[in-house]
Amino acid sequence: MNWQALVLTAKLASLASLILMVVGIPVALWVAYSRRRWKFLAESVVALPIVLPPTVLGFYLLVAFGSESWLGRWYQHVTGGTLAFTFRGLVVASVLYSLPFAVHPMVAGFRGVDQKLLAAARTLGAGKFKVYSRIVLPLAWPSLVTGLVLSFAHTVGEFGVVLMVGGNIPGVTQTLSINIYDSVEALDYRSANATALTLLIFSYLLLCIVYSLNQKLVLWENR
Amino acid sequence: MNPLKVQIRQTFSANRHQRFSLDVQFSSPCGVTVIFGPSGSGKTTILQCIAGLITPDSGQISISGEDVYDSSRTLDIPTQFRRVGYVFQHLALFPHMTAAQNIGFGIRVNGTEKQRLVRDALEKFRIAGVANHRPDEISGGERQRVALARALVTQPRLLLLDEPFSALDDELKEGIIRDLKRWLTENAIPALFVTHDREEARALGDRVLLLKDGKIAGEGDVQEAINTWRTNIACA
Repeated sequence: MNWQALVLTAKLASLASLILMVVGIPVALWVAYSRRRWKFLAESVVALPIVLPPTVLGFYLLVAFGSESWLGRWYQHVTGGTLAFTFRGLVVASVLYSLPFAVHPMVAGFRGVDQKLLAAARTLGAGKFKVYSRIVLPLAWPSLVTGLVLSFAHTVGEFGVVLMVGGNIPGVTQTLSINIYDSVEALDYRSANATALTLLIFSYLLLCIVYSLNQKLVLWENR
Repeated sequence: MNPLKVQIRQTFSANRHQRFSLDVQFSSPCGVTVIFGPSGSGKTTILQCIAGLITPDSGQISISGEDVYDSSRTLDIPTQFRRVGYVFQHLALFPHMTAAQNIGFGIRVNGTEKQRLVRDALEKFRIAGVANHRPDEISGGERQRVALARALVTQPRLLLLDEPFSALDDELKEGIIRDLKRWLTENAIPALFVTHDREEARALGDRVLLLKDGKIAGEGDVQEAINTWRTNIACA
């Protein structure tokens, strides 16, 4: 078991999930409640990582992070460094790649909140922020946790994007999934098995949390 | 000055072949005006337009002399600024909040003043004993009282009641209507009360509008008018 890769993966998944909570909640609220006709265009962009091969996303991110792109040049101008093959680059890539896994459960949770409650809050003088913070978010909390857990688990297991954007630098960009690939390439099946089994058990436990929360939500709604 | 003036037109398409048009104009004096009519006649739509929950196709709505909607001026004040109390048919109490938190939700002051207002409302509506209970832990009558207290504690310019008593038995209904009437009189809050129950209309209303197929088919004093319309409504 490569502990360095485990710590790095945990750090990456935690950071990406926290950023996804901050970014994902407003995106999900907009998707759930906006009546814009062109909403489907934005929804499709958010959902793109689900259908796109990770290498495609990884390739374009690598191009975007490079010094030839405006983003890469801007980042270099501001920080003096580059995003490609760095931990920060991995965080940005993970946030984009896991966005739909955070947003979709939240959207489903927000849409499940009784519209009459939102109308009642508005007649009581509540603006959008108060309606969302006092009514929608507390009532849809299991979907927030589901989004958090799924985005964490997805970031832990991602491979293609990480390899494209971060490469395989131990202690910097080598995550557990890259470490398994590395071990197999070196014919070290024992190490690969230990890491793979850890990921398998971890993923199973996370899914147990998600489904138990969903069950709790159903019980709450049926009280 | 009438506290409420309404002139709205709204067309709904249920599907490609079915259309429903609401075309009403009325003004409502102080006291409780009942909107009486059969199901599907547009009663709830009128309340939703007044509260700003839906926007009519055209018309004008003014509350206490202030225009809140005027299609000719593209004026449409958002719901939260209309200062209208609304009691929904299924009450719409916030399930994750206690009775006291539900009542305090719309109060804009904080601290001891807010606590005092909530306490007063709890006492006046005889629900002090369930202040710390959530809606699913209290009876139907108590839920009703919480919904009324929540809508009234903010001192709205107008109270809208959308068949809120339909799920209650007569005895409970009587007590709640008595307390509601007292509060409305003491605080001079005009109300628009949607119902298709004659007894409720008689018990709470002062004046009545008969709504039929999206149009005002008659209006008058509640005690006289309800009896006169008995035959008409039965046929509707």
